[in-house]
Amino acid sequence: MKKKLILFLIIAVFSTFALTGCGGGQDQAAKEEGQFDANADYSVILEQAKGSTVSFYGWGGDEERNKWIDTVVAPALKEKYDVTLERVPMDIDQILAKLSGEKQAGGKDGSIDMIWINGENFYSAKENGLLFGPFAEQLPNYQKYINADDPENQKDFGYPIEGYEAPYGKAQMVLINDSAKTPETPKNTAELLEYVKKYPGKVTYPALPDFTGSAFVRNVIYDIVGYEQFMDMKADKATVKAAIEPALEYLRSLNPYLWNQGKTFPSSSTEVNNMFADGELYLNMSYAPYSVTVNIEKGIYPATARSFLFDSGMIGNTSYIAIAANAPHKAAAMVAINEVISAEMQATQFSNLKTLPIVDYSKLSDAEKALFDNVDVGKGALSQDELLEKRVPEMPANLVPVIEEIWQEEVVGK
Amino acid sequence: MDRKKHRILNIVAYTAVLSILVPLLVLPFWSFVGRWPWPGLLPENFTLRGMEELFSGATNVLPVLTSSIALSLTVAVLAAVIGMMTARALVFYDFRGKELISFATVLPIIVPGTAFAMGVHVVFIYLGLADTVLGVILVHLIYALPYTINIMTDVTAMIGNSLEVQGQVLGVSPARSFYHVTLPLIMPGMISSASMAYIISFSQYFLTLMIGGGKVKTLSVVMVPFIQGGDRTIAAAYASVFVLSTLLVFVLLEILVRKYTARLSGI
Repeated sequence: MKKKLILFLIIAVFSTFALTGCGGGQDQAAKEEGQFDANADYSVILEQAKGSTVSFYGWGGDEERNKWIDTVVAPALKEKYDVTLERVPMDIDQILAKLSGEKQAGGKDGSIDMIWINGENFYSAKENGLLFGPFAEQLPNYQKYINADDPENQKDFGYPIEGYEAPYGKAQMVLINDSAKTPETPKNTAELLEYVKKYPGKVTYPALPDFTGSAFVRNVIYDIVGYEQFMDMKADKATVKAAIEPALEYLRSLNPYLWNQGKTFPSSSTEVNNMFADGELYLNMSYAPYSVTVNIEKGIYPATARSFLFDSGMIGNTSYIAIAANAPHKAAAMVAINEVISAEMQATQFSNLKTLPIVDYSKLSDAEKALFDNVDVGKGALSQDELLEKRVPEMPANLVPVIEEIWQEEVVGK
Repeated sequence: MDRKKHRILNIVAYTAVLSILVPLLVLPFWSFVGRWPWPGLLPENFTLRGMEELFSGATNVLPVLTSSIALSLTVAVLAAVIGMMTARALVFYDFRGKELISFATVLPIIVPGTAFAMGVHVVFIYLGLADTVLGVILVHLIYALPYTINIMTDVTAMIGNSLEVQGQVLGVSPARSFYHVTLPLIMPGMISSASMAYIISFSQYFLTLMIGGGKVKTLSVVMVPFIQGGDRTIAAAYASVFVLSTLLVFVLLEILVRKYTARLSGI
């Protein structure tokens, strides 16, 4: 009898916990929703932001970027707007898992404010209602510095942005090799085949679905069959496969000369990167256009390393900052993002991290232009003009997994 | 024949020790290396990048390390004590559902980690434990307990309670009898289970990140992105700190406990 009573009590306590937890959460969410208005006058938002601590979640494996956020962005926010920025290193998969966990548990205030995001992750986060918006066009610096008509500010991997994220930095695929080891820089896929034949076993690329490996394969596809047809292609396996068949044929023809005869591929771009640094591979590829400069400075690459592009263009993308739907400090998040997209911050990002700026050069004042013009891109790198001139758009997000699947079936070990 | 066997054993033992020690010794070395291409015997250049990351103002590792050690020590002590008490209950008493509880103690390591973490996360959000240090301690405990309970069950069963009961027969209170007779006997088991729990807590990445929400920063949370990112210099620097601090904690723990037990059994 006594035992049953205890059991009953335990259940009762837990269910009240669960119920109040849930109910309280909804109330709070409703209140928050009522309180925060992204369309309010910016001075009101500035006032609301004052004194809050805003969290910024994103990948933490780049110590230079971590340092830039901690020592350049955060102090500026504190000084100018009395906003404290807390950087939280977390992979995007875990960020999304956390957000959906918080959503499952009820609309209670979350812990994540700003998120570094793009592509497929943005697609799934927005589709699942995990993001707050629209907010981007409401930012004064967005109006002032950003070209809203730029396709990369309209769509992220072919998926409409609709103000749910603001641009953060531009990336572009580059190929990398060491002029001391191989004098040639293949300008297209035909030259790449010659290159691979000349240095058998010294070239490979990361196995898909690695981010960089996947982008490299898309670049090969673009060079062989062009990119225009993919922009509105249906994400249907048969259609995609028919369109990329010549490229698949080409990739299979590379296999016999690749590292390990193309029977296996390194599992990640970090592995390929380390193999290149060790001289085990002669060709490397990166989605960070200035990674050569950065790695030469760090002493990881030899000073003779350089980056180069295909003549038909290399895929570029933009990464963005979004705000979580359950963000506890939306006003402060908007203030922080507004600061990050300012000409000043973009210039420090360009000079410290060599990340391509997202501001529209033609919208800058002369003084602001000088901030960018004075940046020395360093050894082995290409100029911003050269990169942007040969920039082609990313494929729509929903085609990416289809291509990855086809690659697994049709290329590996064939 | 015997000598030959001895020699083979020695070779096996030394190979085992070397294959553990050499990679460990390479770690601190790599934290100063910039580039070390094959087949060079020595690196091409050296860098202080790793040390800058560890000790420069912006990303000082010391506060994170201290709080990380404090957190894991808390988990270790709690796990050892709870493990000991659970083991005593399971070994010395008979009650309804004993088999079930005994099985339930190993459940957390049977259920796949990711699924487990998601479930715990949702429950912890309800209870207001997500993103708190207490939540992280609790979730580490859940993962450490299966090991400590198992270790302590064996130790308790081996030592039994006859000596403790004898003490009581001689007129000492149960508490004192436990404290002066049983505790010194099971101390080695307590130390191994605490060490085990410490290691489990200290190296926990995914669970800490999930439940701590990135707000609870431990050394693993800061270190793993660099390992995943393939930056060998910085990863090696962090890993060296990880290994050295763990060793240090274990040595200190061992010394403290030895002193304590010596005093206890001396009465």
